[in-house]
Amino acid sequence: MAFGKKKDDREKEQYLKLTPKTILLYLVIILFCVIVISPLVIVFSSSLRSPENQTSPLALFIEFTGASYVRAFSNMNYPAELLNSIMTTAGSVLIIVIFSTMAAYPIGRIKTKLARFLYFFFISGLIIPSQMVIVPIAQTLNRLGVPNTRFTPMIMFITCSLPFSVFLFSGFMKGVPVEIEESAYIDGASLGKRFWSVVFPLLQPAIVSCVITQGLWIWNDYFYPMVFITKKAQYSLPVGMLQFLGDKENPAQWNILFAACVLCALPLIVIFLALQKQFVNGIAAGAVKG
Amino acid sequence: MADMPKKKRKGANTSLVFTNKMYIFLIPALAMFLVFWIYPVLQLFYYSITNFNGINYDFDFVGLKNYSKVLSNGTLTNSLKNTMIYAVFTVVLSNVIGMAIAMILNTRIRFKGFFRTCAYFPALFSAIVVGFIWSYVYMPGAGMIGNLLTNIGLDGTAFNPLGNFRTALYAIAIVEVWKGFGTTMIIYLAGLQTVDESLLEAGRIDGCTEWQLIRKIKLPLISSTVTINVILSVIAGLKAFDYSFIMTNGGPGKSTKTLMFQVYETAFTDMKMGRASAFSVMAFAFIILITVIMLFYLNKREVEL
Amino acid sequence: MNRKTMFALALTGAMTLAASTAVFADYDHEAIENSGDITITLMVSGVATDNDFETEVLPNLIKEKWPNVTIEATKLPDDNYYTSLKTKLASGECPDLILTQPMYAGQNSCYALAEAGYLASLNDLDTVQGRQDMAAVTYDGDIVTSTSGVSILGCYYNKDLFAQAGIESVPQTWDEFLEDCQKLQDAGIQPIVMGDKDQYVLQFGLYQIAANEIYSKNPDYDIQLRSGETHFTDEGTWDKVLEMYKTLYDNKYIDADMSLGYGASQSITDFIDGKAAMTFDGSFNAPALTAEGAAGAFERGYFPIPGTEGVYTATCLGAGYSIYSGSKYIDQCKEILDYWQDGHSDVWKAHLATGRIIPVYGEGAETVPNIDLFQPFIDLMNEGKGFYWCNQAWPAGTENEMEVLFSEMVGGQGTEIEDITEGMQEKFEDLLED
Repeated sequence: MAFGKKKDDREKEQYLKLTPKTILLYLVIILFCVIVISPLVIVFSSSLRSPENQTSPLALFIEFTGASYVRAFSNMNYPAELLNSIMTTAGSVLIIVIFSTMAAYPIGRIKTKLARFLYFFFISGLIIPSQMVIVPIAQTLNRLGVPNTRFTPMIMFITCSLPFSVFLFSGFMKGVPVEIEESAYIDGASLGKRFWSVVFPLLQPAIVSCVITQGLWIWNDYFYPMVFITKKAQYSLPVGMLQFLGDKENPAQWNILFAACVLCALPLIVIFLALQKQFVNGIAAGAVKG
Repeated sequence: MADMPKKKRKGANTSLVFTNKMYIFLIPALAMFLVFWIYPVLQLFYYSITNFNGINYDFDFVGLKNYSKVLSNGTLTNSLKNTMIYAVFTVVLSNVIGMAIAMILNTRIRFKGFFRTCAYFPALFSAIVVGFIWSYVYMPGAGMIGNLLTNIGLDGTAFNPLGNFRTALYAIAIVEVWKGFGTTMIIYLAGLQTVDESLLEAGRIDGCTEWQLIRKIKLPLISSTVTINVILSVIAGLKAFDYSFIMTNGGPGKSTKTLMFQVYETAFTDMKMGRASAFSVMAFAFIILITVIMLFYLNKREVEL
Repeated sequence: MNRKTMFALALTGAMTLAASTAVFADYDHEAIENSGDITITLMVSGVATDNDFETEVLPNLIKEKWPNVTIEATKLPDDNYYTSLKTKLASGECPDLILTQPMYAGQNSCYALAEAGYLASLNDLDTVQGRQDMAAVTYDGDIVTSTSGVSILGCYYNKDLFAQAGIESVPQTWDEFLEDCQKLQDAGIQPIVMGDKDQYVLQFGLYQIAANEIYSKNPDYDIQLRSGETHFTDEGTWDKVLEMYKTLYDNKYIDADMSLGYGASQSITDFIDGKAAMTFDGSFNAPALTAEGAAGAFERGYFPIPGTEGVYTATCLGAGYSIYSGSKYIDQCKEILDYWQDGHSDVWKAHLATGRIIPVYGEGAETVPNIDLFQPFIDLMNEGKGFYWCNQAWPAGTENEMEVLFSEMVGGQGTEIEDITEGMQEKFEDLLED
């Protein structure tokens, strides 16, 4: 990371000179960004129109009204869904970080076949899709007497996240110098103290990475909440969005739908824009270190 | 435990600092993983030899009938084919685009942060939201592209990528690429930033073209990043479900039924949980096979490069 | 309006109408009054609207009647409803009240759920006593679904566009129907719009044609399918139905290039925007189809697709509510259902006001929204010319095969009529197996 920072500073000093070649480069990237962003721009522009005004959507930002947002806001029961999403995501991510750093500790440190087996055992979970196992999972929860509450999807989020998170942390653990721990051992620190006070703080970059990648996924996932939540009051944002799928009563009220889309993604957009650097570094670190 | 006298086996843990006692830390994660992930997966194997319909627990064993049925009724072949096309298309496209954009952004270009934000932005949206947005983009006539075509004098109603048997699968694969390439790009960007500038300088002094620099220096140096990115997108591609579910419902015909969509449909529409389990087991074996082959191949290449 | 005698089909020998009218031990009519604060969960399919009946009006009205009862209602889009229902059943967390469909229709079919023992018997409900039309929701002698309305499949049409094309009356024969389509097309009007991207809409047209061409001649066709006396591949049955429907695509009355990429709600929008003269749809979508679109408040009509030999209709008992057999509040739910379905309570009236139910009894039946549109169908049904929807008699999944193969055919994938009938037969037998 330090290296990247140095480079950034240097870039501030000198940019590419405008030659025909670099102008082409600019054109390519600008055109590409326009193509990528255009659906989102249209969505945003349409969401600012009244629900009835659906003509010529390509005429951007010709009307500014919150009417579609008001409808979407109440259709979705937004405050409650927002709160549920925050609780589910924050709660899951917290436990994921605790459990998977703990699990990665022996896996990353002990050099035996067993540790290596456990590493691959967890990683193998990456390739199992949720759709495949949902019925047996529902039965297992039932047998254990776990009631359907807003915490049920969290159990599955945590479980599904373990393969990736354990993979991430045990990879990162290898980069944490063994010597620090050895000196802690000589000083007579207990295992728990060694982990929580010595190792855990050093995992911080990986923790940021885990929080961002897993938080993003959990925030956006609709499958587990859709299956495990019965009560409308416990819906998360993506499940609320599902309500718009196949809406036959209100044929194609796109503007309201778009407003709902914006509302659904808004918290993430805000967090992303505020913490861009951490986001980008976190995602990169997650993959490259692991 | 480490002090316990025992037969010294090859590969046993002999470290004084990192004793087997550390495995205590593994317990919470391992317990959850076993109970809520491994055990349900094993259940699948069990159901795969029954005629369980998903709701009636009074079921019988039917041996390997589900397996032979899945193989003979064509659903596996069709969905496997669709999944492979989808996976190859998304893997190639998102990696090529991701890497190309990363390389451009790795030069001393202005507004780098802005471009990066633009490229990454779609990754923030939930699959369900993305599904809605692209249903609109693709809608014939009144949709975004349809409108655009009409505005430039073409027939916007004739543009119907989701309604065409030949294009529907690619149309939803493009959505996956749109949402996914930003993440790939960021990972490549991080990989490229580790490439030592002095190596490139040396290359330039030796008279290498930009393309040669990429081919001979950059690519080999970021080969582990390539491995990671390709594996991640292969896994995502093979698990494809969201856009078939939200945008096309497997149609038109069976042209966008992926492995996971077919599993879902067999289990929930046809109420053949037993058969869906057999399907899952085979799909699972297939996914493992592909992933292992990919890992093996890419690791080998990494070494060669 | 009197209780309508539904034309219903006794599918299994064990199912007897007598059973449903026999006198049973009463349930506890004071169950709610004797319980403390209770929460009843209800799960239905559909999309919640402003001031939605199930998720808002019903809970409020029940609260007014019984302050100690809280109804927690969930409304999910169809696919998610099915998935949720199944996993909730698997996990023993099923809501107390669920929406179920008659016979074998859909993945929430009352027969399949009753067979697995998930539905409580409703034989002792006050509101089902004496009803003769409940065969389609009676499994093994037990009424398992409380339903008070019928559902219709028909053809919505735009009277203005019909007039523009010089069509004066609704067609009475299949040939007339085709002629009218041609007139519309000649007048530069898209005759029919369908949202075939949502493949289930193919049923809307096909089942009407099947009522005309198959069930009118052999009402026991599907029973015989199960016993092996008839097959989908029999000449003059499904081959004919599919061929007739295909004609509409061959002549571009329905534009397959367009429809295969069009969602159901987009086709509704096109219809109310006046971009097409007709669309095949159900009575359940009447509120959306009679809404004002870009074409304003033009007059709409609704007729059954006529057959080659007379007009029959795909009109039958609609979906209703069942009580989960594992519910802690079975008797309380019964009290609620009886109140809801009694034919005059506030809940009943509010339910009618939604326009999504066409009641077969009770007060206000003649005042439900769009009753003028529905009356011809109800009359046909009372003449014994109404038939159930095909998928009600098929194991769930058969209709999907039909839809997929039909889409392939009109999408130019080289699929032939006999491939479809063979595929349907194969799937049907496959699903019945085990």
